[in-house]
Amino acid sequence: MSFRPLSPPESPTANNSNNHNQSMSRSSESDLSVDTDIIIGHLDPNFGSETRIENPKTPSSHQRNASSYSRNYSLLDFYGLESPSGDRESEPLIDASIMKGLDDLEFKELSHANTIFAKSVVPSPETEASVRENYIQPTVSENIEKILNSPYDRYGFRKSSTLHNITHDHYNEWFSDYSQYALRRKKKWHILMKNNGLHLEQEDSIPTRFPPKSDKVKKLIRQGIPAEWRGSAWFFYAGGHERLNKHIGVYSQIVRDTRDIHNKDTEVIERDLHRTFPDNIYFNSQITSPVNSSSTTLATDTSAAPPETPMIKSLRRVLTAFAHYQPQIGYCQSLNFLAGLLLLFMEEERAFWMLVILTERIIPKVHSANLEGVHTDQGVLMLCIKEYIPQLWAILGKNFEGEALSEDKILTRLPPVTLVTSSWFMSLFVGILPIETTLRVWDILWYESSKTIFRFSLTICKMCLENPDFQASRNNNKGGAEMDQIELFQFLQNFPKTILDPNLLVDNCFKKIGGYGFGSLSQDEINKCREFVSKQRAKLDHKKNNNIAAEMTDEERRTLISSSDGTFADDQSIHDVYGFHRSIMSGVIWNKSISNKMKRSFVKRKTSR
Amino acid sequence: MSAPTSNQNPQSSQSTNRFAQFKLVLLGESAVGKSSIVHRFVKNTFDDMRESTIGAAFLTQTITLPESKTTIKFEIWDTAGQERYKSLAPMYYRNANAALCVYDITSRSSFSKAQDWIKELKKQAPEGIVIALVGNKSDLADSREVEESEVEEYIQQASEDGSSIITSECSAKSGDGVLEIFTSIAKSLPVEEAVGAGTNRNRAGAGNRRAGGVDLGRARRPEQASSGCC
Repeated sequence: MSFRPLSPPESPTANNSNNHNQSMSRSSESDLSVDTDIIIGHLDPNFGSETRIENPKTPSSHQRNASSYSRNYSLLDFYGLESPSGDRESEPLIDASIMKGLDDLEFKELSHANTIFAKSVVPSPETEASVRENYIQPTVSENIEKILNSPYDRYGFRKSSTLHNITHDHYNEWFSDYSQYALRRKKKWHILMKNNGLHLEQEDSIPTRFPPKSDKVKKLIRQGIPAEWRGSAWFFYAGGHERLNKHIGVYSQIVRDTRDIHNKDTEVIERDLHRTFPDNIYFNSQITSPVNSSSTTLATDTSAAPPETPMIKSLRRVLTAFAHYQPQIGYCQSLNFLAGLLLLFMEEERAFWMLVILTERIIPKVHSANLEGVHTDQGVLMLCIKEYIPQLWAILGKNFEGEALSEDKILTRLPPVTLVTSSWFMSLFVGILPIETTLRVWDILWYESSKTIFRFSLTICKMCLENPDFQASRNNNKGGAEMDQIELFQFLQNFPKTILDPNLLVDNCFKKIGGYGFGSLSQDEINKCREFVSKQRAKLDHKKNNNIAAEMTDEERRTLISSSDGTFADDQSIHDVYGFHRSIMSGVIWNKSISNKMKRSFVKRKTSR
Repeated sequence: MSAPTSNQNPQSSQSTNRFAQFKLVLLGESAVGKSSIVHRFVKNTFDDMRESTIGAAFLTQTITLPESKTTIKFEIWDTAGQERYKSLAPMYYRNANAALCVYDITSRSSFSKAQDWIKELKKQAPEGIVIALVGNKSDLADSREVEESEVEEYIQQASEDGSSIITSECSAKSGDGVLEIFTSIAKSLPVEEAVGAGTNRNRAGAGNRRAGGVDLGRARRPEQASSGCC
């Protein structure tokens, strides 16, 4: 396989004639070292086989078309084909070409962003005093002590943050136990790395390469990645390196192209920047200062806006660049939280590509302009709840009038509960689950892909159902059978915030004995369900158009009818999708249980006709 | 700072003997303070830095109307403000008895967005829905972009077209005017019908979901894609 990342699309030295001479010389040097690393990485004959993991890019019907920037994104995007760009810790994280045309101030910010993650680089004296080497401190005993004595957690969130949903004291109580667990896990990780020949120079170095996927690795991932390794591990297992290597300099280019851009997206981005993790010290410089929120004005009152942290500036660049790169998505509220959390764990170019991977491959169309992916995934989730938690479906599977939704109505008119659960998919549990629990889900998500979201959504739903408070609340309700839907929504909305112990959630999800065993819900099942739901929804749209466009010509009508079989969700079309009659999905055995049920119910309906 | 605490737990108040429940949605451009208004009303708290709402948030709060000795329970649906979330909006305002269209008095564009929402509600929402046009951030009067006279003009125009809209300014930050808005909405709701219809907390049956006694007329609304700005 020939892959030549050696010449970036834009040579950083080509056109920058006059600006930033001193700055540039420094960045050119570091740029050189990137290339060197890449050469080493790609010529290493062992590497490809070592990192070949599994067939990663399942072509999906949701896959959006490539935008102008991602044209060279190809089917070769396999885990094994490209290597991570070497394992030097000092790898500069922003391409030097980004420096072209930036003024000195911005250059400082960017070079500062580099130094945050490049541990061997000493922060230059001109950078702000508050600058830290790395946002996430290593998991070692002395740091745990420090955290216990601080008002902030190890990620910079206020311990009494809404993301923890508990008081400072409760946090410490929990953390003193959990940190011991984290220390033990880290030892296991060290052993795993060693056994895979991935030697770490120092106890606290952060690896850039990880072992290939295996049951052993999966098990450890599910038990949690050491916090300070997370960014690196997520990026590695999500296929970030190959994406980045194929698009060297692209992010810098977009940042340059978009730096003065003003449009609808940037307008909303600006409004959301300061509403992203306002109780995290890296996002909000104000919370550490004694003059606290009481003296500040509303976040949107720009006249008295608090000074921006480097993190907010990074967030602005990433979101703006993303909106430009993925015009079908643009900016969608909730991306701010996704990008924000990524930025705590990795530098901005990587966070950008992770956002691209996420929205292209893991939750396609969920953030698109019409949120179609949200509807699709909610339809899939409802099918899953119906299948795996029928007791809960008995409560949820109703419309607002209290009428039970029949099988074929689910996808066309989603149950109201999806108003709660859709945010789980949009923000990937950020702000839904306590932060550590969210991060544990993310560990698994980047390794195991989108089935993870469904598995954990089901787990949360089932935990909710089994919760004594929920049961009591139902029993207290007159009649018992019907819980006021809004009460249920509130419960479903508030309950996840109380799952402070990540291990409880993870064990419930995966354990077959003593848990729910949702690990058996396969990616294939999810993919097929997604395809099914989106096809059905497309047919609904056809039908809608059919109703509305009464003025249509006969020709148009014939086309429409032939494309949608004339009716929505008729038996034939469902058989099509499930492959019972025309075996569209021949050779694929999936979701036996759901498909059998669907089959039975449709056979029944057919015979009763 | 006026603290609308008097409305907390009014169910303990002995003077009420009637109960009605209504669904209320908040709509409006992002960052105008929808969530802040709700939190002021429900929890009597205010955060300068509130995180953007993703999807929807559900809260409930009850208030008492002493004149009619009625306790009103609001089911409040707080929604995300960004334009694209509009594709979810019909799910929110379907069956709603009242809608708060919120704008920021320091932002002209948010005012026209609130008017767009009113237009959309007129077209799509259940007939008889009580609509309130609420200008938030009245504490920032110095940077005001939307004059009260303009709002009056708009309301005047609307009433000539046959729609009555409640209008008011408030400050979620100071608490000024927040409770008043919910009270005047409560007074405009068809409480008599709701109470008369024997609505109570148990809403197992299909019909009584129409707490306000408002006839939804589901057939009235054409099944139309609700995308696009109105």
